[in-house]
Amino acid sequence: MKIVQANAGALTNFEVLDFLRSRGASTDPTRVIAPVAPSEFKVYDYLVQSAVCNQTRESINEFLKRCEKYDLANAEKLNIINIRPSSLVEIDPIIEECEKRMKSEDVEELVEMVVQVLPEHPASVGIERGTDVDKISPDQELMEAN
Amino acid sequence: MFFLSLIEHTLRLPPHLLKLPLDEAIKGELEALFLDKVIPNLGLCISIYDIGDIKDGFIYPGDGASTYTVQFRLIMFRPFVGEIIVGKLKSSDANGLNLSVGFFDDIHIPVHLLPNPSSLTLDPENKHEGIWTWEFQDEQYPIDGKDEIRFRVHSISYPPIPIEQEKEAKPFAPMVITGSLDYDGLGPISWWV
Repeated sequence: MKIVQANAGALTNFEVLDFLRSRGASTDPTRVIAPVAPSEFKVYDYLVQSAVCNQTRESINEFLKRCEKYDLANAEKLNIINIRPSSLVEIDPIIEECEKRMKSEDVEELVEMVVQVLPEHPASVGIERGTDVDKISPDQELMEAN
Repeated sequence: MFFLSLIEHTLRLPPHLLKLPLDEAIKGELEALFLDKVIPNLGLCISIYDIGDIKDGFIYPGDGASTYTVQFRLIMFRPFVGEIIVGKLKSSDANGLNLSVGFFDDIHIPVHLLPNPSSLTLDPENKHEGIWTWEFQDEQYPIDGKDEIRFRVHSISYPPIPIEQEKEAKPFAPMVITGSLDYDGLGPISWWV
């Protein structure tokens, strides 16, 4: 095995979620038939109950366009898209040297813009998904054996 | 959290897969080989993103199977240092906290990276476990696992595979993420809402 390029591009959580969805992952019981492995389902379950499940490509593009004037590093933009901070205290650990680089009005403006552009995190779906996945693995093996 | 990695691999395709179309057979073999496995310094492989180039359908003398050189991209889970991730509490003891994100369990927050000052209240039943509590401005904030915990990635290490292990030792973890809660906005989400 040869590693041609260790880093061929970063992916936001939304892009991974979109990719898994396009392969057929979903949260209802038809997941047993989908060509998605149980370990991929665990990733899908984690992403679906995080802040990214309602995001769309347009909202992310809109966010990237509007945050140009704040001069954020790529890692910081990625963190903001993945976490969706909705208050000053949540955005503080994301932006390095926040007080030195941006005035507090700028930070507030940025938080406002995040809340406006990126869709909200819905109420948590719950931990039952994890137990569903564990029950499904033996059934999947049965289906493949048939 | 997720990166794409371009990998090239010489794959031997067992003869019983000859009836399948080539890319399906190759995809199945790659999944069995890479999915849910840790590659040192690249991270945990989540999924095959796409298959680029398939060349050299070679048959070695004496072998019934064909060998292909495949170039493909994998989605790897490899958080960068300084990334903020949300996880759930799995266990907490005198060494620190253990968190999990569902598909990855070996996230450790050592004692010196917990918010300062914190104290441990040991569980009366089980001497090895306890609940960490943060004392801030005369208020107690316990980390009790009811809601999700936000932590910042401090470092990632890939310990080498041990040659021998004692019988009772914890199962070997090929990738360990060390996190820190020592900043504003980190810790259980209910602390900051």
